[in-house]
Amino acid sequence: MELKFSPEDEHFRKEIADWLAEHLVGEFAAIRFRGGPGDEHMYPEERKAWEQELAAGGWTCIGWPEAFGGRGASIEQQVIFHEEYARAGGPGRMGHIGETLTGPTLIAFGSDEQRERFLPGIRAGTRFWCQGYSEPSAGSDLANVKTKAVFDEASQRWLISGQKVWTSLAHESDHCFVIARTDPDSVGHRGLGFFLLDMDQPGITVRPIEQMTGTSEFNEVFFDEAHCGAGDIVGAPGDGWKVAMGLLGFERGVSTLGQQMLFQNELDDIIREAKRNGAAKDPVIRQRIADAHVGLKIMRYNSMRTLSGNADDGSLQPEAMIYKLYWSTWHRNLGKLAMDVLGPEAEICAAPPYELSRLQSLFLFSRADTIYGGTNQVQRNIIAERALNMPREPRG
Amino acid sequence: MDFNFTQDQLLFRDSARDFLRGEITPERVRALWESGHDESLWGQLTELGLVGITVPEEHGGLGMSEVDFVLLAEECGYVALPAPLVHTALVAAPALVDIGGELAASWLPRIAGGEARVAVGTGPAQPLLVEDADRAQLILLERAGALHALDPADLTLRRNDSMDGSRRLFTVEGADEGADEGAAVADAPAIAAALNRGGLGCAAQALGLAQRMLDLAVAYTAERKQFGKPVGSFQAVKHHMANVAVKLEYARAPVYRASWSLAKDHPDAARHVSHAKLAACEAAALAAKNCIQAHGAMGYTWEVDLHLYMKKAWALAGAWGDTGFHKQRISNALFEDDAPLGAGATF
Repeated sequence: MELKFSPEDEHFRKEIADWLAEHLVGEFAAIRFRGGPGDEHMYPEERKAWEQELAAGGWTCIGWPEAFGGRGASIEQQVIFHEEYARAGGPGRMGHIGETLTGPTLIAFGSDEQRERFLPGIRAGTRFWCQGYSEPSAGSDLANVKTKAVFDEASQRWLISGQKVWTSLAHESDHCFVIARTDPDSVGHRGLGFFLLDMDQPGITVRPIEQMTGTSEFNEVFFDEAHCGAGDIVGAPGDGWKVAMGLLGFERGVSTLGQQMLFQNELDDIIREAKRNGAAKDPVIRQRIADAHVGLKIMRYNSMRTLSGNADDGSLQPEAMIYKLYWSTWHRNLGKLAMDVLGPEAEICAAPPYELSRLQSLFLFSRADTIYGGTNQVQRNIIAERALNMPREPRG
Repeated sequence: MDFNFTQDQLLFRDSARDFLRGEITPERVRALWESGHDESLWGQLTELGLVGITVPEEHGGLGMSEVDFVLLAEECGYVALPAPLVHTALVAAPALVDIGGELAASWLPRIAGGEARVAVGTGPAQPLLVEDADRAQLILLERAGALHALDPADLTLRRNDSMDGSRRLFTVEGADEGADEGAAVADAPAIAAALNRGGLGCAAQALGLAQRMLDLAVAYTAERKQFGKPVGSFQAVKHHMANVAVKLEYARAPVYRASWSLAKDHPDAARHVSHAKLAACEAAALAAKNCIQAHGAMGYTWEVDLHLYMKKAWALAGAWGDTGFHKQRISNALFEDDAPLGAGATF
């Protein structure tokens, strides 16, 4: 056990901190601390330009192997990157899904041709991705995917028809990865394929979903014989579930660290607000802030512990299920804490027609945390049956 | 950055686990609750080298650190060990090492050899209760901001029966403040260190206790049938158990982190101990609450073993700084004018 960074790592810290201080200025000053969860719809063009600025400095995809354009950065360096990025107020990453989900998936499961075609655009901050998983009848029961993929012999293309929902930033994305049923007679997790689609085509319609924040970062996405090439399936027809689960394994990895740094900024905002308006003198508020602080430390230490273990195992580990349940519950409570610190001000909109302050957005948006990406109830079932080996419940 | 234990640390834990789970059965714990003494147990622990585990090698011990011991403390919790091993290894021996000099040279070898026991009495709680004071040949007692080295023969010890029948707690009288200035052997830093090590010991034991309660409840709900099915197949029961598993699994890292900070004299070690104690005792409290519920009415009986572990978990939550103390320690630090805000500086 050695819980500190090496001198080389500290040197790396200075390198990224200096770079951010030099580059996150001028035209990018306006997007500092913007574009995080609940604010993801804001400043999309400026944030895309920022992705290219990051790419020019070699700061996108730093955890990817060098052979694919990354830096092959160590876990420690990725931690430091996320810490310094959040400390500097780096905007929410438009390239997040491509960098942390599509890229690692193609590196692990993709063909050489797919890697050559898709990885450079992600690395350069020019091509953006969204994730086509959930459907109206495939939420908690994700394997109940109805979207169909049919191979058209005449055109030698896959034709995709169906509907996806809750697709974050689909309206700002160039590509979508989609799980769809390749075997029409199959049910559940068998008979699925994992496809890579261009969003800019007549067969795809994106319709924003207005959330209770009054904003729209989620969408419905309709596929009406949308097409992709014969080579745009990852793995073989029928491998879709395996690829999709592998991807969830990447999701638990270092991306959790960036998330925790955003949480830290939110907690710091709440502490500042409590000092400003006097809530910091309330012993109950003080205890709840201490609780929030401890919860965040617990997440940090656990991420570090997980990442210093066997991080190369891409399977769905109990830690991943535990993490989702833990952070979502913590963050939902943080949103409520923010409102209680604000007191009567909590109710009053920042400006008409329905502009919310950051803490108000945090509160409303964090109501969704315990639902998306696997509800807390489903996570608990999985933990009880797979981690604790409790008796299974019959499923229909 | 490496959060892993070494192979040696894990092997040492495994052999201690084999011994403790084999020997310290619920029946033996119950027998000790009734008889109040188990003389052979301390001898067994001494033979295994556990009593002197943190005593420096030059004084006849194994010279191990908080990081080496933390996994063993967890195992002591798992069996609800009815002996002050954690107190001796994590609080008493390190306090003597801090004090150094004659006192350390004369007492540490006797601790390691199992010939003498030392009890430390300090902490924020009033009245101050000292663990196993009547078995000690030396008591290091906080008086007026200093630790005093006192001979129990000069003191009046009064037993306070604990709800956890294996905890033997004493108030100490007869060492009036300032009565014997010469007995003062250490001041604030040693007192703070003892409190933090005591807190770590509680936290580590709480992990083991929570694991034990969870294991008992998962096993019970697989056996117990209602409506023709094991009650553990019902989601309402599963979710109680999953909530415990999450809190418990996530409490481990902060406890290990605190052990490292103490071993390395990290400047924020006190706060790290507070994180650990709050997280682990909260996990154990939830385990107690949910596991008795999962046991149904049987969980409320004297006959079912669950209460042996619940009671120790409840007791340790209040020892070496209760929830309020540790939360206040954290919130005071967070609201200091120069408290560092912002990401980074995590380790």
